[in-house]
Amino acid sequence: MFFNTRYLMWVFALVGTTFVVAAEAPPTKQAASRLTTEELAHWIDERFAEAWREAKIEPPGLIDDATFLKRTSLDLAGSIPSVSQARDFLGYDGEHRRGNLVDRMLNDPKRPEKYAERTAAHLATVWRRTLVPGNSPEARMAVGLEPWLKEQFNANVPYDEFARKLVTATNNGQPQMVVNTRLGAINGGPTMFFQAVGGKPESAASSVSRVFLGVRIGCAECHNHPFADWKQKDFWGMAAFFAGIKNGAINDSVAATIRPENSTVDYTAAFLTGEPAKIPRDKPPRETLADWMVSPSNSMFAATAVNRVWQHLLGRGMTDSVDDLDKASPAERKILDDLARLFVDAKYDLRWLIAGICKSQLYQRECIVLEETDSEPPPGLRPIKTLSPEQVFNSLEQALALPVAKADGSARFNGLRDQLIARMNEAATNNPEEFKAGIPQALLLMNGRLTTEATDLDQSRTLRGVLDAPFLDTESKLTTLYLATFSRPPRDEEKKFLLDHIRKQAGGDKQKQAYAEIFWGLLNSPEFVLEK
Amino acid sequence: MSLNDFSRRDFVKLSLASAFGVSYSGWLPKIASAAEAAKEVGGAKHKSFILLWMTGGPTQTDTFDLKVGHANGGPSKAIETAVSGIQISEHLPGVAKQMKDLAIIRSLTTAEGDHDRATRLMLTGHRPGQEAVNYPSLGSLFAKELGDESNDLPHYISVSPFRFGDAGGPGFLGPNYAPLVVSGDSSDPEARANLSIENLKAPAGVTKESMEKRFEISKFLQNEFASRAKGPSTKAHKANFDRAMRMIETNAKGAFKLDEEPAVLRDKYGRSQFGQGCLLARRLVERGVAFVEVALNGWDTHADNFNQVKRLSEMLDPAWSTLMEDLRERGMLDSTLIVWMGEFGRTPKINGTTGRDHFPVAWSTVLGGGGIKGGQVIGNTGDAGTEVKDRPVKIADFYATMCAGIGVSPDNENLSPEGRPIPLVDRGGKVIEELAAVPEKKKA
Repeated sequence: MFFNTRYLMWVFALVGTTFVVAAEAPPTKQAASRLTTEELAHWIDERFAEAWREAKIEPPGLIDDATFLKRTSLDLAGSIPSVSQARDFLGYDGEHRRGNLVDRMLNDPKRPEKYAERTAAHLATVWRRTLVPGNSPEARMAVGLEPWLKEQFNANVPYDEFARKLVTATNNGQPQMVVNTRLGAINGGPTMFFQAVGGKPESAASSVSRVFLGVRIGCAECHNHPFADWKQKDFWGMAAFFAGIKNGAINDSVAATIRPENSTVDYTAAFLTGEPAKIPRDKPPRETLADWMVSPSNSMFAATAVNRVWQHLLGRGMTDSVDDLDKASPAERKILDDLARLFVDAKYDLRWLIAGICKSQLYQRECIVLEETDSEPPPGLRPIKTLSPEQVFNSLEQALALPVAKADGSARFNGLRDQLIARMNEAATNNPEEFKAGIPQALLLMNGRLTTEATDLDQSRTLRGVLDAPFLDTESKLTTLYLATFSRPPRDEEKKFLLDHIRKQAGGDKQKQAYAEIFWGLLNSPEFVLEK
Repeated sequence: MSLNDFSRRDFVKLSLASAFGVSYSGWLPKIASAAEAAKEVGGAKHKSFILLWMTGGPTQTDTFDLKVGHANGGPSKAIETAVSGIQISEHLPGVAKQMKDLAIIRSLTTAEGDHDRATRLMLTGHRPGQEAVNYPSLGSLFAKELGDESNDLPHYISVSPFRFGDAGGPGFLGPNYAPLVVSGDSSDPEARANLSIENLKAPAGVTKESMEKRFEISKFLQNEFASRAKGPSTKAHKANFDRAMRMIETNAKGAFKLDEEPAVLRDKYGRSQFGQGCLLARRLVERGVAFVEVALNGWDTHADNFNQVKRLSEMLDPAWSTLMEDLRERGMLDSTLIVWMGEFGRTPKINGTTGRDHFPVAWSTVLGGGGIKGGQVIGNTGDAGTEVKDRPVKIADFYATMCAGIGVSPDNENLSPEGRPIPLVDRGGKVIEELAAVPEKKKA
C-alpha cells in the first residue's frame, strides 16, 4: 500500500470536496427570432400533453435528480458522472439546477470537467455511428471521422452547414490513406465518410439519402422500391451526383451522369423530388445537391435531423424508423415537421435543439415499463436505452477511476480500451432500444482484465479510495460504491441486503473482499450497461 | 454455501420467473452425458459443419494436387489412396485412407491474392468492399441455417481462429450468430492443448466461494433493477448474463475438459493444439453446436515450403483422419460436413527461397462427410498446375456446393437491415452436382 498525492486527491474526489456547483443563473432570454430553449421545452411538453390526452395515456412520473444526472451525463458527455459530480449535484437544490446542468454540459469549456469538449466528443461518436453503421472493416475505419466531427460539434457549426461540408468534402482525387482501425485517433477528415460507406457513387447516394433525408433508396439500386414510391431512376439520379467517386477518391470534374454495370442506360443527376438538377459548369455537382438538400424548403432534411437528435436523447425517434421517414404516420410526421420548422428558425442550432429537449418534462420522465403484450410504447415516452461500446468504456473509466494519461499506462492507450470496444462492437447496434450483447461480451465484463483489476484490493483505485478512507463508515462506503457506478445512493432494501453481506464477513480481509464482491456485482448489473 | 446450493436456489428463483423466458433445461445433463446429447437436441438428428481453416493459404501441389515428374512438383511424393486413381501427398497417409468419404476440388479459381482480402472472400463468399452490405461469414450463415434455438451452447464456435484477415464475424446477421472464440495460445506444450474460452475462468486469486457471492449479489441487483425497469433490454441482459454464468459454472464441472476422453484417442488426434481442437470440435458437434471452425496456422510458406508442409501435414493428418473415423463410429459422419480450405493456394513454381507464393488462379479444397459423395476429384490443373484445364469452380459454385453438402439450399435468403433479401450464395452459383444433390429452397 502506498500513499501519494494523486491517490489522496482521489480520496477527496470520492467524498466530493473539490467540486463547486456553478452559481445559480436564471435562464437568459435569446433574440426574439427563435424560441429560448426553455420555450422549446415548454412547446414540446404542450404538444405531447395534448397527444397523450387524446390517446388517454397517463404519462409516467418525473425522475429524481440522480437519474437526471446520470441520464444527461450519458446522453451528452457519454459517460456516467464522477462521484464528486454526483455528490455535488445531489446535495444542491437550486431551482434551475437541471436546466443549468444541461447548459453547462453543452457549453462550458472550463477545466477540469471540460464539459463542452466531452459532449462534442460524444456527439462525434454518435454521429460517426449514424453516418457509418455496422462493424465491417470499412465501418471500423470510420473512427477516423471522429476528430473532424468533434471539431464541428465543439464549434457548434449549424447543422445545415455541417451537412453541406460533409456532402461536398473533397480530397482532390486522392483517397484517404487506409486507417489502421486500432489507431482510431487518426484524423481521416470528412471524405473518409465516402470511403467508409463503400467508396462508390452508389454507396454515397444511398448513405447520404438515408443519413440526411431519411430515405431508404438502397433497394432501388436493383429494382423499384417494393413499398415506397422510389424508382430506380431516383436512385441512379442521386448516384449521378457522386459519379466522381471511385475507390474512395473524389474527382469533381467528372460529369454528373452514371451508367449502372450491365446496363445501357445513362442516368443524369436528379433530385429525389424528381426534377433534374441544373449543374453550372463552374460548380462541382455535389454543391448543387447540397444546395437542394439543406434548403429549408426540403422538409425531409430538417425533419430527419430532428428525428435523429430525438432518438439519440430519448432512445427512439419521434417516428420510430430514423432511417426511413416514409414509414412515419401522418400524425408523427406533423409533429416532426413542426419541430423541424422551429429548428430551421433557430438556424439549425444543434445545441439549442438538444438543450430544449433535455429541459422538457418529457425528457425527464421515467422510462416506460413495457410488458410482454405491448408492441409499441406510446409516442414521446422513452424505452430503456443500451449504452454504446464507447459509453461502456467511458463509464468504466469513470467508475474505476482509471488514469487517463498515456504516461500512466492508461487503458485508453495500452490496448484495453480498443479490446473492450472491439468486443462490444461485435454486439452493438444503432438502435439504443436493442440489447444484443452475447456471451463473449458478458464474460469480458465478468472476468476481463479491467474488471479483474477493478476488484483486486491492491490494484483497484476505487476500492482503495473507499476502503482506506478513515472518515467513512460502512454505510458511507457502500454509498460511495453506488455513486461510483449507479450515480445514486442505495435504496433501503439494497442497503439492507448488502450491508448484511458485509457485516456477515469475519472482518479484516474477508470484509474488504465483501466490498470487492459488491463492486463486481454493481459493474455487472443491468443498471450499469442500461440507461433508465 | 456450496455451488450446488446456489444453483438450486437459483433454479427455483428462475422457474418462478418464467416471464423472463429463460430455459434452464437440457444443458447440464448434456454435458454430463455426451452420448445422450446427440439424440437430444431438437429431437431429430442435427446437422453440423466443421471447417478446417488453413491460415496462410495451403499449397495444393504438396497436398492434394501433386505434380510428380514436373519441375513445379519439387520433392513432394504421391501415395495411393483408398480410391484407386486418386493420389495425394505422402505426408497425408491417414487422410488417404479416408478418401472414400472425401472429394477433392482441384480447380477452384478466385481473384484475391492478398491475405486479408482473400480471407474475407473465402469466409463470406463475396469480394470485399464491392458493396455496402456487411456480409455474414460462413460460420454465421450456417450457424443460422443449422443452429437449434433450444440449444444453450452458442451456434458458432471458433477454435484458435488466428487469421490473416478481418473476417469470421456475423455481419448483418448480428451477435446471435457471432463466434464464441476458444483460444489456447499458450506455448507451453503441456498447456497447449488446454483449449478454453476467453475470460471463461475466474481471475487468479478469486475463489469459487467469492465467485458464488458475486453471482448472488448480481442476481439480487438484477432483480432489483428488473422490478423497476421492465423491458426487452432488461430481459435480454438477464438471459445473456445467465448463459454466461452457466458457462462459467459448467466449465468448473469440466465441460471443455478434454481429459474425459480416453488417452489413446487423444493421442490419435495428436497432442497438437490443432489435433485437440478437432477432438473438441467433435465434442461440440455432439452437443448440438452447428458450426465449429478449427484453424491451423503456418501455411504461408514463402520460404522452406517442403519442410514446413511436412511439419504441418504431420499435425493435420492424424487430426483430420481421426476426426473422420471418430464421427463415423458415432454415426455422425453423414450429418457433419467437413471442409478443408485456406484463403488461396500457392504458386506452382518454386521460388528462390524454396518457397511458394500466393496463388488464387488454380487451387484445391477438400470436402467430406455430410451429403458429399466422396472418392472423387473435380477439375484438373494440367501437368504444370499453372491454370485450370477443366471444370473451373468459382467461389459461388464452391459456396453452393458446401450448402448442398449439408442439405441447405443455396437459394435460402436472409434479410439485410435494409430489408434486402440476400441469398446464401451469390446468384449464379451452381452446385457441383457430382458431389452433392441440390436441396430444395426453404419455404418462407
